[in-house]
Amino acid sequence: MSGDNIYAGVSGAVAARRLGWGWFANAQGVARRVWARTTARDQGGMIIRYSVLPGFGLTLGLTLSWLGLIVLLPLAGLVIHAADLGWSGFWDVVTTPRVMAAFRVSVTTALAAALVNLVFGLLVAWVLVRYRFAGQKLVDALVDLPFALPTAVAGIALSALYSAHGWIGSVLTPLGINVAFTPLGIVVALTFIGLPFVVRTVEPVLQELPPEEEEAAISLGASRLQTFLRVILPALTPALLTGFALAFARGLGEYGSVIFIAGNMPEVSEIVPLLIIIKLEQFDYHGATAIGALMLLLSFVLLFVINLLQAWMRARHAH
Amino acid sequence: MTIRVSGICKRFGSFVALDRVDLEIRTGELLALLGPSGSGKTTLLRILGGLERPDQGSLTFFGEAALGLTPRDRQVGFVFQHYSLFRHMTVFNNVAFGLDVLARKDRPSRAAITEKVTELLRMVQLEPLADRYPSQLSGGQRQRVALARALAIEPRVLLLDEPFGALDAKVRKELRRWLRRLHDEMHITSVFVTHDQEEALELADRVVVMNRGRIEQVGIPSQVYNDPASPFVYDFLGNVNRFDCVIEAGVARIAGLEMAFPAVGMTAGPAVAFFRPHDIELTRLEAFAKEEAVSAEGASRAQVRHIYAIGPSARIELDCAGHSVEVVMDQDRLRGLGVNGGDWCGVKLGRGRLFRAGVVAATSIDQR
Repeated sequence: MSGDNIYAGVSGAVAARRLGWGWFANAQGVARRVWARTTARDQGGMIIRYSVLPGFGLTLGLTLSWLGLIVLLPLAGLVIHAADLGWSGFWDVVTTPRVMAAFRVSVTTALAAALVNLVFGLLVAWVLVRYRFAGQKLVDALVDLPFALPTAVAGIALSALYSAHGWIGSVLTPLGINVAFTPLGIVVALTFIGLPFVVRTVEPVLQELPPEEEEAAISLGASRLQTFLRVILPALTPALLTGFALAFARGLGEYGSVIFIAGNMPEVSEIVPLLIIIKLEQFDYHGATAIGALMLLLSFVLLFVINLLQAWMRARHAH
Repeated sequence: MTIRVSGICKRFGSFVALDRVDLEIRTGELLALLGPSGSGKTTLLRILGGLERPDQGSLTFFGEAALGLTPRDRQVGFVFQHYSLFRHMTVFNNVAFGLDVLARKDRPSRAAITEKVTELLRMVQLEPLADRYPSQLSGGQRQRVALARALAIEPRVLLLDEPFGALDAKVRKELRRWLRRLHDEMHITSVFVTHDQEEALELADRVVVMNRGRIEQVGIPSQVYNDPASPFVYDFLGNVNRFDCVIEAGVARIAGLEMAFPAVGMTAGPAVAFFRPHDIELTRLEAFAKEEAVSAEGASRAQVRHIYAIGPSARIELDCAGHSVEVVMDQDRLRGLGVNGGDWCGVKLGRGRLFRAGVVAATSIDQR
């Protein structure tokens, strides 16, 4: 077993060195040393557990190599490329009004869409889990449609629907509500894209929620609202949080569906991914990577905050 | 009279859960609803608690029509089979829940709630665990939290659904005694559902035996045990030997055995006789040892299949002309008889009860 792991690790490290990614080989070395320490502890007789499916060494080695190749390598490339700009160059790119505005638009619209999905995703999940009705399978399939549909198709459909002459747009425009080619349009597109994330994360948790807890609350004199707020919602919060985070992250990176409906006016309805494309089209590779690196940072911070929140909730609920 | 149930019917699809059930529950008593699964006992309890609505019938609580009342207005405490504690709340908050959700004008002050919850936790001996979460408790502790939570709202009636069902034997016994003591102190009208006859007989003031959505018998434990009203109750309460008989001219004969007893006043036809294991006598007869006679001196020939001798009494499994017969007797008496596994001996049916099949008719048998 140990042989397998070392081979996997070594081959990964060698490949990385050949590619000139010294840091990657180094990371593998660290992983191997950590692993070696655990093994020593095993041999010391402290933790010996029989594994039904052996191959920890091999699988860990493969996992690390694979994640390194697929996830870390491109991201590291991005950071290193952006680093060529130097700190002040990087700062100059990302603090231009246009870039700042794009970030503001991207974050606020993604946040708004994720919040809308939080409410309506919970509603959809609730209906799908708690009731049996004709056409349920169809509704269930509809939820997955935003996953499957090419996002550009969704974008074109939405902009046709919400433009001043579209079915919905022709009703809203006389009321003074412009959806297409405004940030509101971006929210609509991102809501469409993000819905399945909330529904599909909340659904299984809702299914596991024993109805007796609700009955217990009712028999203790709680009203329906109290039962929902105090018993059901707290049990769903971790799942809601995960769904929200997924929808939000997806919204931040969404490109295809947004560009058709957004209007893409600089500093008003221009999103960050589009700005990156624009920079690339102008052969401003450094500008593009700088914005990309900032987005990467933003994603990391988001992931970190979400994980922190979940850890905190888990500790609190002690499941 | 605390609760009166009359003519309650409940169906789930084509399944009849309750079929015209009438029952009176007395103030301060501890009542057991006993029956096999599917007998409707839990449905009846849920109807009492307002968690289920009957299709027909009426229900009064303290003289007041209760079917239209919400669980809150009925003032019942419900303890669920799997405790159903709120997983994301501490023990303390679980117990305080019923007080926390009261309308502001009825809600006691924070300090009063704290005092009350602490007192309840002390009563169920869980005060040190107030800050724990349900997942950090054992089954018995969770059950006590559930009980404290139900008692916090000062219910007029306490309803318990299989309160000890999910616990291991030792904890179950302890908790059973503890609940009995608690009831004796508080005198709160309580109804509990169980499928364990020993639990019902040991704990309850009165036992309601249910079968297929109907009540078979209501009575104090010794009454339902000693004078079962139907073959079902006999079968369900405790171990019993069951013999199919045929009644002919006022005499019942057990099919395949040379045994008969009087069935005065009963019409001819098939019947069932029941004998408790301790009402059957074992004799050691020379005639049987020689494998000649099938019956002699009022006893039938039987072979000892197995002896389970643990504790003060021994359980003997016999083969009596193809019938499996179970006998319970003192260890000392068994030793005196000198019967061992594989031996032949005599079986004498003592006290029992005869039920005419398909008709509500029964007669006692006493051949001692």
